[in-house]
Amino acid sequence: MATVIETQGLSKHYGGRSFPPWRGHETVRALSDLTIDVREAEVFGFLGPNGAGKTTTIRLLLGFLHPTAGSASVLGRDIVRDNRAIRALTGYLPGGIAFYDTLTGEQMLDYLARLYGRPTPLRSELIERLEMAGRTMKRPVRDYSRGMRQKLGIIQALQHDPELAILDEPTEGLDPLMQRAFYDILEERRAAGRTVFFSSHILSEVERLCDRVAIVRAGEVVALANVAELLNRRRRHVEIRMLDDSMPPALDGVAGVSDVVRRDGVLTCELEGDIGPFLAAIHGAAIADLTIEPARLEEVFLEYYADEGPAT
Amino acid sequence: MSRVVFGHLLRQNALRLIVVIVALTGWGMLMPVIYSAFGQQLADIVNTFPAIQQFVHFGGGDLFSLPGTIAVGYIHPIAIALLSVFAIALPLSWIAGEQQRGTLEIVLARPIARISYYLTLLAASTLFTGLAMAATLVGTVLATAAVGLLDQLTLANLPALWLNGLLLYLAIAAISFAASVTFDRLGPAAGFVLGIVLTSYFLQVLGSLWPDAEWLQPYSIFHYLDPSAVLLDGLQVFDAVLLAAVGALAVVYALAVFPRRDLAAPA
Repeated sequence: MATVIETQGLSKHYGGRSFPPWRGHETVRALSDLTIDVREAEVFGFLGPNGAGKTTTIRLLLGFLHPTAGSASVLGRDIVRDNRAIRALTGYLPGGIAFYDTLTGEQMLDYLARLYGRPTPLRSELIERLEMAGRTMKRPVRDYSRGMRQKLGIIQALQHDPELAILDEPTEGLDPLMQRAFYDILEERRAAGRTVFFSSHILSEVERLCDRVAIVRAGEVVALANVAELLNRRRRHVEIRMLDDSMPPALDGVAGVSDVVRRDGVLTCELEGDIGPFLAAIHGAAIADLTIEPARLEEVFLEYYADEGPAT
Repeated sequence: MSRVVFGHLLRQNALRLIVVIVALTGWGMLMPVIYSAFGQQLADIVNTFPAIQQFVHFGGGDLFSLPGTIAVGYIHPIAIALLSVFAIALPLSWIAGEQQRGTLEIVLARPIARISYYLTLLAASTLFTGLAMAATLVGTVLATAAVGLLDQLTLANLPALWLNGLLLYLAIAAISFAASVTFDRLGPAAGFVLGIVLTSYFLQVLGSLWPDAEWLQPYSIFHYLDPSAVLLDGLQVFDAVLLAAVGALAVVYALAVFPRRDLAAPA
């Protein structure tokens, strides 16, 4: 599978040597040594709270910022030398998108599409699915609600069926129905062989949509893995309620099981990795109820954001 | 140059362009009418009180001759304010303003080079300023003909006045664009440009009204548009070359800075 985005030690520091020289100030490390790869036809999530470096990464990929160190390529083109070619093949939804307020939604889409010089095969379908059809597109953008602006932003980013969509917090302002419609659209784009790179701090949508994620903290990647792999790595909480006074199964020493506690006919433990040895160990036990809490990306994320996050 | 962006700018600013053109045509018509109605009376008053003679040479013009009256019209704050719509307001708004609002980001996310974008904006600013300058001259000629004073105007020198005025406002526009590509936000860019333009205007007016401050005038960009001299003697080559050089320097600066600088996230 081809690599669509590849970064090698990509870094962006502000301050110090800058242009023009009088703009210099104390150095801020917005992004340090970012090395990731995004593959063709995958939905790649870029996770982190505000200020972690997500938007800086996107702005570097699109040429709004110049890297302090490292290199990156998008669709096989260098982000510094061939940025114009990259932008010709990319659709971009910035966070908190702004439009020319006096233009109608239709005029706005026309203008932005003409700047690409490409046909817009997906426009009418996107307008329909995001419920922007009819008079909405004829109204000036200044009359749009936040959610409508976001939907217009999604349409302008995807209307020309770009090889790569870069979406910064795409579901901000969308109601749950529209979020669902948007998820379906992204899944279809992936099925059509398109690549989606999106930043988010809404973990449930990343968990639902993404094939792989990178978690960034203070400008550095602290995890880069398949979502399933990350969840698998995550310790799940298990609670076993025994029938009457039956003896709980012996779980000490079982692979992946830890923190076993027995109290009042209830056994609790933590389960990590392959579930097979655990199931084998409880086979035949007189169990009244068994609860294995599903691993959530949120817990993985919070774990990485603890003071002493796990090393990558 | 991007034809798509240029067309967008024309559509977005059509109403603004019409309003300014109509206003400047009216303003251009006003000066010959004032001269025709009050020129002789004002000359008589000034001749009676020679001590105030210096103070009526506002900005290098006067109200005792047709070229002098037209010159006053060109250096008057109303004319400057109207022309500044295209020479200051739009250049500041088109880059620094749009960067602050976030609209620059969605345009530059398309396959358009920053140099091409800048040159397109500069071309639009040149067109708008050129049309506005022409409107002022058309108004002046129409009113001069209406009051029967065309014989006092050397029509052959009007294109030179148009060119000299255009060069002045293009130099100001180029400085505005230079500030616009340098600053991330509209406020600092506007402050920088207005500081330069207002100081420059103050030096020119002060030097024209107070003989002891006359040495300040060459430091003003407005000093290099002398409509009286152009209307009487044709294009003032040094003035035109100097204004062109100032404009060219600002353009070269912007072309060097804009493609290389980081564009901050919108406010």
